[in-house]
Amino acid sequence: MFKSQNLSFEYAPHDSNPPPLTLKNINISIQTGEFVAILGHNGSGKSTLARHLNALLTPTEGTLWVNGLDTKDPASTWGIRQSTGMVFQNPDNQIVATIVEEDVAFGAENLGVPPEEIRRRVDDSLAKVGMLAYASHQPHQLSGGQKQRIAIAGVLAMRPSCIVFDEPTAMLDPSGRKEVLSAAANLNKEGITIILITHFMEEAAVANRVLVMEDGEIILDGTPREVFSQVDKMQALGLGVPQPTALAHKLRQAGFNISPTILTIDEFMQDETVKKILKGQANANN
Amino acid sequence: MTRITVGNHYPTGSILHRTDPRVKLAGTVLYVTALLFVNNFLGFILAAVFIAALIKISKVPPRLIFRGLRMIFFMLVFAASINIFFTSGQNVLLHFGIIRITTEGLTLAAHMIARLVLIVTGTSMLTLTSTPIQLTDGIESGLRPLKVIKVPVHDIAMIMTIAMRSIPNLSEEMDKIMKAQKARGAELDTGSLTKRALSLVPILVPLFVSAFKWANELATAMEARCYRGDINRTRMKEMKMNAKDWAAAAIMLASVIAIAGTRWVI
Repeated sequence: MFKSQNLSFEYAPHDSNPPPLTLKNINISIQTGEFVAILGHNGSGKSTLARHLNALLTPTEGTLWVNGLDTKDPASTWGIRQSTGMVFQNPDNQIVATIVEEDVAFGAENLGVPPEEIRRRVDDSLAKVGMLAYASHQPHQLSGGQKQRIAIAGVLAMRPSCIVFDEPTAMLDPSGRKEVLSAAANLNKEGITIILITHFMEEAAVANRVLVMEDGEIILDGTPREVFSQVDKMQALGLGVPQPTALAHKLRQAGFNISPTILTIDEFMQDETVKKILKGQANANN
Repeated sequence: MTRITVGNHYPTGSILHRTDPRVKLAGTVLYVTALLFVNNFLGFILAAVFIAALIKISKVPPRLIFRGLRMIFFMLVFAASINIFFTSGQNVLLHFGIIRITTEGLTLAAHMIARLVLIVTGTSMLTLTSTPIQLTDGIESGLRPLKVIKVPVHDIAMIMTIAMRSIPNLSEEMDKIMKAQKARGAELDTGSLTKRALSLVPILVPLFVSAFKWANELATAMEARCYRGDINRTRMKEMKMNAKDWAAAAIMLASVIAIAGTRWVI
């Protein structure tokens, strides 16, 4: 799906006094169907990388291929943007039309899809995100989570093979966050590649691969278990780990024999040592 | 969540509401033009009957239409007085200093009032029976022939759509900024007029900044969804004239010709 070779990017390449590179020598390869979470601080370059994935930005040096197409080639720009959809952070700043279904149709209209086919795709996409009942509503009367699902439907109507989520939940309340995340997870089950940019560790734990970025570089790349089991390193980066992982880590430091790969509350509760602790049978160092 | 409606669309589901917006747009333009031709009372009576019939068909409560008239009340009074007091004519009814009231002046004033009232009611029938979206789409598709002479019809329609989309956003943002300023002790609704006008500055500046930010992000989002202007673009809802629309167009055209034609009858 994506492959980059020595991808570097700076925002003002012609500046005589150039600022540090926003992205430095990034080499990644993401396969179709993966669910990748990208973690990092503000300014670590994760949104900049996301904007490369659908050619909104192109590398200053190096190359990025999307489905074999070079993002620097202007002839492939529209093909790349059709195959890689993007959902942004602020739900209000990405809805174009004043009626929900018109907005969902917008992308497909831009691609020149025939009207009857657009109608089918719009209904289908709205159904997939559970918003069919709101088709004729006005977007500004919906909640944040609902608006984000409209944005997802708008991308789906373009029939993409990948959707990049750029901190889609940062401006939402917890229930809106859940709505958006479960929509993303469901789409991944249908074979759509999901790239989720976030700074919520719990959200990253749902992915099957986590990339950690710092200062424009990818410094960790692995499954959530591999990444989050490096508790000390993650905490040194100021990113932290999911709460159950952090608690398990503390207990392990206190001498309890708890698995280092715990990610969720359920896994935590299923751990043999935890069960013993709860029954009052466990002591440190056993 | 805010309850802002854009335009003054009043849905009743009447046949006039369901008529193709292009017919209504063209009808309104022709109707206003015809009113400019009218120079006798027969024409105005005909036009009034035509509008009354439309109001009846549309099922829009007449008080909504009169509300629109209230806004132009002062303009009517002003236009009428100028005509009454300053029209020169043969048949002087009253002479007082530079003021002369003549029969011609009175007739002219009456025509002026009738014309303005009929224009305003006619155009408000258009906005009351069509949503802003229908109007925009109607303009885009109705003006399509102008593309030949390089009028950016699509761009104009897109600008109108986005302007409508921005209204609830901006008003929400303004509300937020006003609350933030009030929380820090700004007095927005007390003091003299100048003081109140000046206290708007710290609201308008952040509002402008956020409007630009909004526009910038929306443009990125539109690009991400493959927007590139009018190139190879289709529409989900294509406007098609059905038999009823053609009939409505014919009736409108006939009425408009009749109204304008009164000029040559008497």
